[in-house]
Parts: sequence; structure tokens; C-alpha cells
Amino acid sequence: MTSYLDATVPNRSEHLWRYTPWSRVHPGRVDSVPDVDSAIIKSEDFELTNKTFEPLATTDIARIFLNEILRTTTVVACDNNNGHIHIHAGGHSVAAHLHIACNSAANIVIHLHGEADWFGLALTGDINANAQLSVGIINELSTDSVMVRVDDWSLHRDARFELATLSMGGHRNKSDIRSALKGSNASLKQFIAVHGHGTRHDDHHIEIHHQQPHTNSHLLLNAACDDRSHSIGTGALTIDDVAQHTDAGQVFRNLLLSPSSRAEAIPELEVLANEVAAAHGAASAPINKEQLHYLMSRGLSKDEATSMIVEGFLVDSFTGLDSDLVREAMQTRLTVHLECQLIG
Amino acid sequence: MTEVLLRVENLHVSVGDTPIIQGISLEINRGEIHAIMGRNGAGKSTLANVIMGHPAYEVTSGTIHYKGKNIEEMEVFERARAGMFLSFQYPAAIPGVQVGTFLRKSVASVRGEAPSPRAFRQELNEAMKQLDMDKSFLSRYVNDGFSGGEKKRLEILQMLLLQPDLALLDETDSGLDIDALRIVAEGINAVAKETGCLIITHYQRLLDLVKPDVVHVLIDGKIVQSGGPELALKLEKEGYDWVEALV
Repeated sequence: MTSYLDATVPNRSEHLWRYTPWSRVHPGRVDSVPDVDSAIIKSEDFELTNKTFEPLATTDIARIFLNEILRTTTVVACDNNNGHIHIHAGGHSVAAHLHIACNSAANIVIHLHGEADWFGLALTGDINANAQLSVGIINELSTDSVMVRVDDWSLHRDARFELATLSMGGHRNKSDIRSALKGSNASLKQFIAVHGHGTRHDDHHIEIHHQQPHTNSHLLLNAACDDRSHSIGTGALTIDDVAQHTDAGQVFRNLLLSPSSRAEAIPELEVLANEVAAAHGAASAPINKEQLHYLMSRGLSKDEATSMIVEGFLVDSFTGLDSDLVREAMQTRLTVHLECQLIG
Repeated sequence: MTEVLLRVENLHVSVGDTPIIQGISLEINRGEIHAIMGRNGAGKSTLANVIMGHPAYEVTSGTIHYKGKNIEEMEVFERARAGMFLSFQYPAAIPGVQVGTFLRKSVASVRGEAPSPRAFRQELNEAMKQLDMDKSFLSRYVNDGFSGGEKKRLEILQMLLLQPDLALLDETDSGLDIDALRIVAEGINAVAKETGCLIITHYQRLLDLVKPDVVHVLIDGKIVQSGGPELALKLEKEGYDWVEALV
């Protein structure tokens, strides 16, 4: 296994680290491996088992680093079960590795909260043949926290997987979410909603790899950026030459709410098969004036109308979720968060 | 006693350097229904939007008084809270915002306090029944994926709930089939007796169901002819050429 101290720290010419260099999300000095505690993982709905840590694929510096600091893997027994998992990240630097293997059907909402200065999260999972898994991740970390998140999901034959992320917490986040469609007829739907406020910096890199024929993937990232926040969405969609009849789409939409907010949306495609449908789109725009006028003509002040449009924009990120449990949890937490923001 | 709700005096309006409205004067009393007819591009929708305070239009001269007050400095939401309502020709879609939530917040904003959930639900049920609307409307996103007719029904539903003093209806009849037109017309008639109404339309068919007190013909941003309901019938029969000949 590659040692972190032997690994080369990537520079900003690499696509993955262009907007958020590794040095900005490392918990200390970039040439050190600090002591890291385990985050507390609890659930009243699922049986959780701690096992010896199963190393992550050493494809990038974040995974290599997490391999050095993680000691245990928490395995979620999820089959035919629905509910919530809470991960509390308290203290200076903490980390967690959660592994989900789904053989039947499950709906899981994972809540991230706590005041850790640094939080490293690894999520891995196998959605096995014919299984249906829906996972929602709600990031409500303290506004001072830095988070590094890496995901590795494998979808096998006829698997159905929904992965939703509601990103509202943390000061600086780097998420590298990778999914491989390894079995024919596998289907992935991924939804991400980002609320940028203050000086929040939120970087999502999403890799989707179609390795078999008749696979589908759909990605939607909606980011609403206020104040001096910065959202980044980079996509890397790969369709192997054997993955004929793949249908894949990526859409990145940014709503810019202040002159100082920034957003990048960079979908990239590598298509090696010739009988596929692959589409991508990206758009950044301020609030639509006609929407604003319409709501104000119904008695809402400009601030109230703006809040309603922003909430709708982010809520709409999750409209495509089939899981009622996950969709309602995401939309409810989002509404609560935005109301708290409005009250100040 | 007659209450003047809207008084427009020698109004001139431009978009950029282009003059659209060129000297309109108009007075609407409570309980009156006025209809404005005219060719495409005559300035009908501009007039409605300017009265409601759309920021894209610049009033270059003239005044608009509502309930005796000059409303030039009032923002759109202040006009709405003062009892003005515009039914849009092309209502904006607001993805992610459910109709039920939107209606509850609008009603609370315009009335100055939120109605009790029970009272609001009852009021909403009655209004939706009146407009033959299914309850599934409430969980859909505002105007998102709505047909033309559904959009217009939602506009009238809002009018029934917001109970305005002055209703501006911009081509509310467009996109409606015969049955929907009748239902929408009943909705308009339900509030018209207590309000002032300005109806913008191209067609006599709405005015067969909602009887106007006054009909105005707008050509090139000016009211060139006003009269009773018989004027609309004549326009339906003979078109606008004879009016233009009078200018």
C-alpha cells in the first residue's frame, strides 16, 4: 500500500485538485500525518458493526491519507431496512469509514454534524445484483469545519442506486464521489444541492464510470451561492468501449446570489462506446427577474421572494429521488436550514 | 358613494428609448369592470404591468393614483399588499416551490397575518371547488409543467384567495377551452362586484360571460375609443380598421 509520506502531493494542474489544493484541506502541515480520532457513529435504525479497516483504493492523495489514519470500518447492515445514521464529528481531527453492502432494498439518511476542525469521511458501498439502495447525506457540520469526503460505490447487475447530498455545513469541503457501474442494467441517480453562504468553499468532484452495457446514470448539481461563497462542480463521466447503449447525463446549475459569489461547473465526458446517449450541461445565472417580480406581485418582499426562489431551486435538486424517506429528509433539513439563515 | 380605485392621468411609458404608452387616461371605480381591447403590440399588457409596478418599464410622465394615493414610489409587493392584483398573461414558473406553500405565504403577506391553518384550508378548498381544481395542484410546483389552462386557473385561484380591491387581468382567457373559460369567468364575476376590474382581452367570448361596464380600444399606446359593451361586439364583427380610420 502506498505510504502517504512517500506519495507525491498533487499540484493544481491536476483536474481533481485544480480549485481546492490538497494543502488547503489537509488537517495540518501537508508533509505530516497527525493523530486523528474516530468520529462517533450511531443509529437506532440499523445494526452497525466495527471491523478492521479495509483500505481504500490508492488512486489519489486523499484516499492514501485516509488509509493512514483510519483504523476501523463501520459496516451497516441495511437490507430491507430504512432509517437514519448520525455521524458526530467532534474534537480537533476526526475520521470515519462507513461501508454499506446492499443485497435487497434500503433507504438510508446519513447526518453529518459536529464541531471538528477537520473531518475525513470515507463512504464505500456495494449495491449488489438486483438491489435497490437510496442514500441521502446531509452535511450540517459547524461553519468552521474542514471536510474531506471520498466515496467509492460499486453498482452490480440490475442494481438501482440513488445518492443525494445536501451540503450546507463546513467552511471548506472537498468531496470526491466515485461510482462504477460494473454490471449491465445498473442505474445511478445522483443529486447534489449546495448552499453557499459566508465564505464557504464547497468542491464536488463526481466521477461516474460506465463499465458495462445498458447502464444509466443521471447527475444533477444545484448550487446557490450567496455572500463570498464559492462552489465548484467538476464531473468526469467515462463510458467504456464495451458499455454500449449507455444513457448518461450530467447537469450543473448555479444560482449566483451576490456579486462576490463564485461558481464553477465543469462537466467532462470521455465516451469510448459508439451507441450511447451522453449529455452534459452547465449554467450559472443570477435570480430570474420574472420569477422575482411574480412573487413580489403576490405580496412577498424582495428578500422573501429571493428566499423562496432559492429554497425552490435547492428543493428541486431532490425532486427526482424515488425514495420518499430520503427526499423528505433532505427537503425538511434544507427548509429548516434556510429558515435559520433567514432569521440570522 | 362612488369610490375611485384607479386614476391614470396622461400616462407615458417607455422601455429603453421606445415609447409604448403615449398619454393614457383612465378611471376605474369600485364595482366597475373595464375591458381593454386592441391589436397585438398596442400596449395593453404594458399598461397592466406598469400599473402593477414592473421595474422594466419607465414612467416618463403622467401619474397613477390608487385609492387616491400616487403609487409611483411604491414597490410591487407594496402595491400587492395595498390590494392590487395582476393576473399574468405568462405567469413565471417557480420550480421547487409547491403551490400550497406559495398560496399560504402570499395570503399571509397580503393580509398582514397568517390565517389559521384550518381556516385557510377551508377557504382554499372552497376556492378550488369553485374553479373545479383538483387538490393535487397543491403539491405541484408553481406553474412548473402546467398547461396554459392550468396556469390561468391558478391565477384566478390566487385572485379569489387574495381578495384584491383592484384586479388587472391580462389575457386571462387565452389558453382556456370553453368549459374552463366559463369556470374562470364565474371566478372573476365572484370578485368583480366588490372590486374594480381591468380586463385585457382579444376576444368577445370572455366579455359574453363577464359583462364590462366600459370598453376601451387601445391603438399605438393611446385609448382612441371608449364605449359600452356594444363596442366590443362591433370590434368582434368589424375588426380594428374602422377605429384606426378615426385616429
